[in-house]
Amino acid sequence: MVNSFFLDTNSLNYLIDNLLFDYSVNTLYLVLITSFFSLLLGIVPAWFISNYKFKFRRVIDLILYLPLAIPTYIMAFTYSELLSFTGPFKIKYDFLQIEVLGIILSFSLYPYIYSVSRISFSLFGSRYLEIAKNLGLNGFQTLFKIVLPLSRPAIFSGLFLVIMEVLNEYGAVKYFGVNTFTIGIFRSWNSMNDTGAAIQLSSILLFIVAFLFFIEKYFHQFKRFSFSKNSKINTLNFPRKRNLFMIYIVCLVPIILAFLIPIIFNIINVFSIFESVDLDRLFSLTFNSLSVSLTASSIILILSTYFLYNEKISKSRIYFYINQFISLGYSIPGAVVALAVIIYLTKIDEYFYSVNLIGSFIIYFIILIYAYIIRFLAVGKSPIKSSLEKQPESYDDSAKNLGLSNFKIFQKIYFPINKYSFFTALILVFIDIMKELPIILILRPFNFDTLATQTYEFAVEEMIPLSSIYSFMIIFICSILLIFLKNFLEKSDVFRS
Amino acid sequence: MKYCIILLISLSSLISCQIKNSNEVNIYSQRHYEVDKIQYKNFEKLTGIKVNVIKAGADELLERLINEGKNSPADLFVTVDAGKLQKGVGVGVFQKIDNNIINSNVSNDLKDLNGYWIPITYRARLLVYSNDRVSKSDLSTYEDLANPKWRNRLLVRSSSNAYNQALMSSLYANLGKKAAIDWSTNVVANFARDPKGNDRDQVKAIAAGQGDIAIVNSYYIGLLLSSEKQSEVDAGKAVSIFFPNQGNNERGTHINISGFAMTKNAPNKENAIKLLEYLTGIEAQSTYVNNGYEYPANPNVLPSKIVQSWGGFKRDTLDLNALGFFRNEAIKVFDQTGWK
Repeated sequence: MVNSFFLDTNSLNYLIDNLLFDYSVNTLYLVLITSFFSLLLGIVPAWFISNYKFKFRRVIDLILYLPLAIPTYIMAFTYSELLSFTGPFKIKYDFLQIEVLGIILSFSLYPYIYSVSRISFSLFGSRYLEIAKNLGLNGFQTLFKIVLPLSRPAIFSGLFLVIMEVLNEYGAVKYFGVNTFTIGIFRSWNSMNDTGAAIQLSSILLFIVAFLFFIEKYFHQFKRFSFSKNSKINTLNFPRKRNLFMIYIVCLVPIILAFLIPIIFNIINVFSIFESVDLDRLFSLTFNSLSVSLTASSIILILSTYFLYNEKISKSRIYFYINQFISLGYSIPGAVVALAVIIYLTKIDEYFYSVNLIGSFIIYFIILIYAYIIRFLAVGKSPIKSSLEKQPESYDDSAKNLGLSNFKIFQKIYFPINKYSFFTALILVFIDIMKELPIILILRPFNFDTLATQTYEFAVEEMIPLSSIYSFMIIFICSILLIFLKNFLEKSDVFRS
Repeated sequence: MKYCIILLISLSSLISCQIKNSNEVNIYSQRHYEVDKIQYKNFEKLTGIKVNVIKAGADELLERLINEGKNSPADLFVTVDAGKLQKGVGVGVFQKIDNNIINSNVSNDLKDLNGYWIPITYRARLLVYSNDRVSKSDLSTYEDLANPKWRNRLLVRSSSNAYNQALMSSLYANLGKKAAIDWSTNVVANFARDPKGNDRDQVKAIAAGQGDIAIVNSYYIGLLLSSEKQSEVDAGKAVSIFFPNQGNNERGTHINISGFAMTKNAPNKENAIKLLEYLTGIEAQSTYVNNGYEYPANPNVLPSKIVQSWGGFKRDTLDLNALGFFRNEAIKVFDQTGWK
């Protein structure tokens, strides 16, 4: 990788001359649009839900998370069908625009912002809000002048995930004809057989992400001093009548656009092909999806806990750097991770001449899981990290004084306190893997299909109705898990209002 | 990492015995059509040989083959672009196939001159035009698409798409570098909108009035016309099909094949040959055309009714390996001339 980055200037020159500017502008513009709408759809409803009491508040709160269950490719296919000239509205306008794509992507991605905003807003407690009221600030002034600046680190960590997802998006951006870095990586690598150029683009992408990481860290530093959690629970206000109407509109827009429309579209399609559904196949694909997701997410949970706990308990910089490094996998496009893993496996195979690793079902299952670990470790680490950070170091100091081993400290102290974050990590990773596409396509063993691969195979041939039952299953399972997670967290300390 | 390696090795020693299973054939497939499932099932019934498939993108599968090297379990690689087959030949992952039955089953002009790959079906990359706004007499050749009379009227998908790359490779091979660049420059100037969407979207865009003429694969017109959605059938009916470059001195319409190649170290070589004999035979070829809208590689089988209704056409007989040889150059032409 280093070699080709420094030696092969031909392809780099070619990229700079022809494509780099276009790719950069498109990538940046798409990131900006998606981020703007994700922030809008995430923050404003989170503010109302966290501060006001109104009918159906709990249900609305719950549904606002659920678009996370819908993979971006299904969201894009759904809206492409609905907005096309052959769709129900016979729209003549050319909807394949970068702005439309940005908005569609934000439908799938805004829950990342919503969830962090909800937690952050509800943690304030009443003290800040009371002071704001005394100063004569109205609701919106309070939001913009006090709450948002204080929540900046949390919102940025959600935004970070949104940006990563946009940078990695392949299927939808290709369909919309938007040339982003990821498109460039595949164009150089696949079509022009130019591994050098692909690696250079990947490196630029990695560099951008590392830079974002740095910024997130920078904001994160302030977090510790930014606000003190208030133990006094914020009491919810009853909104005035005219505000109530606005609150419903603001909360229902994302629900309708990002959840109800895709779900209803999907269900209608399911009914149109229901007779021809092969239930045995549906169950076996569901089983495959569940087994891959569960295996990978459990291992990721264990690994992220191991690394983060060691960082905390040993206070060693080495673990800190390891943790930064292993998170970068999230920024590498899935297909690149998958092929890198195969190259790695081949090297092992060559080294140990007598064994034949390649070709067996179990080995491919293992490297599939391995690729997922590289790709999704960052997702698993995120909730655990923010939870672990809240615990003062005095816990482990006193535990050590009592003569407990590191493992015992974890078992007796950290596990019980942080169990909610472990569970959150497990479910978030599980959902991500359930939806994941390029890695499973490339690394799967023979005859091994999952709900995602089957959805993709039909959808890519534009047979959306046939794909619907499989995509429905993905959305259904992920939604159940999210609802479960939400209920579980409500019992904890996470949401105070 | 150390533990990972140890784990891999210990597991592999446990399972190394299960790898060889003589009564099967393993395919890396870019094709993921329902008709392929039917074919493999029929073949299994007939011979008792189990067909195992992994489906992914052509480039990813080739990369997997290259990296798996001599230990790859794959016997066959199948793709919808001769350029990718040539790419595989170029990196040395295939072996020649020399079999009389297969050779006699497929049309001569579709065959690989070097004997590395076997065509099973082909498609034409043709023109469709609005029935309302374009008259058939205005159409002639691919070269004519550069004519300013098509300004703001031409629709086509992105240059990242393999079918467009193959078309440009064929123009590059047939006309040379300068002509290809000039052609692309003028074609880009004629675009009704930036390239985007898939082939069916170009047809829908004509029906919606966003453009008048489009470059698409024959296969997708068949899909539109046979759609269960009336609106899609209507969109398909709003356009007509035109095979370019059919004049006496002209080279014919650009085509591309779906084809199989055998991997260099195919562990189930005999079974793979049997499968190829079967797939190029009359029965399987009829299954291909009756469950899709591709043209058969076997000259003794007729295409489906819808496809036949478009009429016969003269194929460009360019060596299909050229679609791979000129691929890099073709993409450079796209990039230099601003074909997104």
